[in-house]
Amino acid sequence: MTTDPLMLDVQDVSVVYGSYQVLWDVSMQAHAGQVVAVLGPNGSGKSTILKAIMGLTPVRSGRVIFNGEDITNRPAHEMIERGMSMVLERRRLFTGMTVYENVMLGAYHKSVQKHAKERLEWVESLFPIIAERRDQIAGKMSGGEQQMVAIARALMSRPRLLLMDEPYLGLTPRIVGQIADIIRKVNAEGIAVVFNEQNVKLSFGISNYGYLLESGRVMLNGTGDEMMNSDVIRRVYLGE
Amino acid sequence: MFRPFTPQALLGMTAALAAMLLLPLLSTDPYLMHVMVLVMIFGIFASAWNLVTGFAGLKTFGHHAFFGLGAYGSALMSIHLGLSPWLTLWLGGLLAGAAGLLIGTPILRIRSMPHVAIVTLGFAEIVRICIANLSGLTRGEMGLWGIPQFQGFTLPIVGKVSFTPADKVSFYYLALALTVLTLFVIVRLMRSKTGLAMLAMRDGEDAAESLGVNLTRLKLMVFGLSAFIVGIAGGFYAHYLSILTPQSAVGVDLMISIIAMVLVGGLGTFSGPLAGALVLTVLIEALRDLENYRLLGYGLLIVLIVMFLPRGIVTLRERLTFRQQEQADHGR
Amino acid sequence: MNLAIFLEQILNGLISGSMYALIGSGIALVYGTMRVLNLAHGEFYMLGGYFTYYLIVQIGLAPIVAIPLAVAIAFCLGMLIQKLTIEYLIVRENWAFTTIAATLGLSIILQNAALLMFGEQFNTVPYYVSGVLAIGDIRLPWQRVLIFLVALATIGGMTWLLKYTRLGWSIRATSQDRDAAQVVGIPVRRVYMICFGLAAALGALAAAMLAPINAINPWAGMPILLKGFVVVILGGLGSFPGAIIGGLFLGVVEAVGVQLTSSEWRDVISFTLMIAVIWWRPWGVFGTK
Repeated sequence: MTTDPLMLDVQDVSVVYGSYQVLWDVSMQAHAGQVVAVLGPNGSGKSTILKAIMGLTPVRSGRVIFNGEDITNRPAHEMIERGMSMVLERRRLFTGMTVYENVMLGAYHKSVQKHAKERLEWVESLFPIIAERRDQIAGKMSGGEQQMVAIARALMSRPRLLLMDEPYLGLTPRIVGQIADIIRKVNAEGIAVVFNEQNVKLSFGISNYGYLLESGRVMLNGTGDEMMNSDVIRRVYLGE
Repeated sequence: MFRPFTPQALLGMTAALAAMLLLPLLSTDPYLMHVMVLVMIFGIFASAWNLVTGFAGLKTFGHHAFFGLGAYGSALMSIHLGLSPWLTLWLGGLLAGAAGLLIGTPILRIRSMPHVAIVTLGFAEIVRICIANLSGLTRGEMGLWGIPQFQGFTLPIVGKVSFTPADKVSFYYLALALTVLTLFVIVRLMRSKTGLAMLAMRDGEDAAESLGVNLTRLKLMVFGLSAFIVGIAGGFYAHYLSILTPQSAVGVDLMISIIAMVLVGGLGTFSGPLAGALVLTVLIEALRDLENYRLLGYGLLIVLIVMFLPRGIVTLRERLTFRQQEQADHGR
Repeated sequence: MNLAIFLEQILNGLISGSMYALIGSGIALVYGTMRVLNLAHGEFYMLGGYFTYYLIVQIGLAPIVAIPLAVAIAFCLGMLIQKLTIEYLIVRENWAFTTIAATLGLSIILQNAALLMFGEQFNTVPYYVSGVLAIGDIRLPWQRVLIFLVALATIGGMTWLLKYTRLGWSIRATSQDRDAAQVVGIPVRRVYMICFGLAAALGALAAAMLAPINAINPWAGMPILLKGFVVVILGGLGSFPGAIIGGLFLGVVEAVGVQLTSSEWRDVISFTLMIAVIWWRPWGVFGTK
């Protein structure tokens, strides 16, 4: 895997909210085509690091490099044309708008707009539900269906890297399995995925590299196997 | 807020009080006395607005309603019922306080700041229009004049104290007494458990509620008390100037002046509103020739302060020393 | 009471209401996208009136040219003011209060600048169309009919813009979820600026249409602002369709209320209605929780 080119390089990033420091010199990497899991308990900063990469939260110090370019503190809407997109925590659809409007907003950015039609076809082939429920108000769908719309929306720009903030949050185990399949499917299209999750076992079902965050610091990183066999993970997270 | 006052703060308060007490011994110039009386009326108003907005976090924009109710209430009761202004001053305050409780009630259920701003602004407009329209009682836009003065009395040592336009010194001391009383009440309140609950409410209503703070009772109490104090200031204003118009006593311009004073002085501080009242009133008097630009200046001040000095001038020194400290830290 | 006169009053109420709807929808647009309560909104109305007056009476342009021009100037002014003030405040921690305070300050600045520049006299503009429309016993000046038609066209245009254009989609997306809007590539800061401009333009249009009937003066903004607040409270703060319905509803309520009392109590009726609504349904009569 590491032979693939380096895509995302996070270097010593710190984030401060008010007088409270959330991230302390966090570094992590993702290579093209990889699925990377960011693990950690609530409040570990695993959501903040994704937001900082996407430009939704200001970075105090450190750098975020994407495809060789420094994108630290660039506004989120620029990330779309650079080939990054994000699925926010709790899906965050435009709940008053239709499924079609939600998905098409994923092609809002000028660089994507001209491909909107073919992208819609592509996304509909991945998620048939998008075509079936085209005119439904997004807020009226179930949690799992909303998650699919949210992923479809993020894929409309055909990103090279997809960030997913707690994709399994609030979903039933059966739906979690479906979403995991979708992540594999997305990855099979050649898209790198970085997602965060609390549950270690769930994460390593689909990822090939992981980072463990605690209190805003990287405690551990390695391949799925290395992580599963580490003492810390086995003791604290797997309860062995 | 439970912290005892620092020696510097105590010294500052004592010095300010002494200076205010001794000022008339240096000069009893009627113009100086007049300006200082206005400073204190606005200072009381500003302190009471700061109590709800700065300390309790209920951002209201309609406190001029209570000033007008206190002013017109006290004036009309003394004219039509023949009661002494010494009594109607407090009755006017109670009227304003009751109105505060009334308008506090819908605000209780609302946590959205814009809704609170809209309700309070709308209520003040209702009060203004009612006072302007009920011209049989209030003489409307013509203005209510001939408002009785406070009766004089005789004090030991000092001798006869009279309240006439010619003798502003007695108004000065009365205003000073009311200012000290107001500040005493506010400081005592803020240093009590209730005050702590208020600050908790300002910083997070849900958190405060989970700590067992009764938000409903607290909001009503603060709103009522603040309206009462503003009403007293209004009543004093009425008997001091002995003429009122709806625009001067309930106009939104009045509220804007007060907001400018509190923001300049420092929202959520004890001395800020008084400092702001002093600075702005004196500044305006010093620049009398520019009277036409007065409100323009207030508007500019409000915008500049919220943009560049959001915590007011009383925190300026603290900020400067903090910067030096920071620079010293970096130097190491 | 004569039925024809009563109907005439209701129609007049709807016509005033259509203007309230324009004012309220501007406040709703800004609140909906930015969550900023703009206390300077009335001043855009007042300035729009002056722009119209100067372009028509002083420069001598035809209303059909002057009105769009006045609206365009207001649009640019709105964007400029947003860019210079709100833009910086909205990212701060206590933005909810500072934006209200700053727009209050702006309102005073604009009001007094107008007073210094234009003087305190009341100005009017000649009627844009003359004559009276008579339907049976009901008589309506064409000027009022024109006001209503322009309001309808504007509301229709705004609805189309929000529903079908790229800009409209970005406005709706931003108002529903700011973070999600950013993530799909919408430049929300630019959306804010445009919404502020649009709101100013809507206010200026209302003033331009009312200029022949309501005299323009530096103090015209504050009463209109408060009316706009009543409208958005009725319709649910931040809802564009709510503001339209709320505006028309308020116009009719005032017309009926004035019939029952007298015109000097008109504002007391609407503000009391507003406080009652906040008491009873803080999310608006026509809004949803």
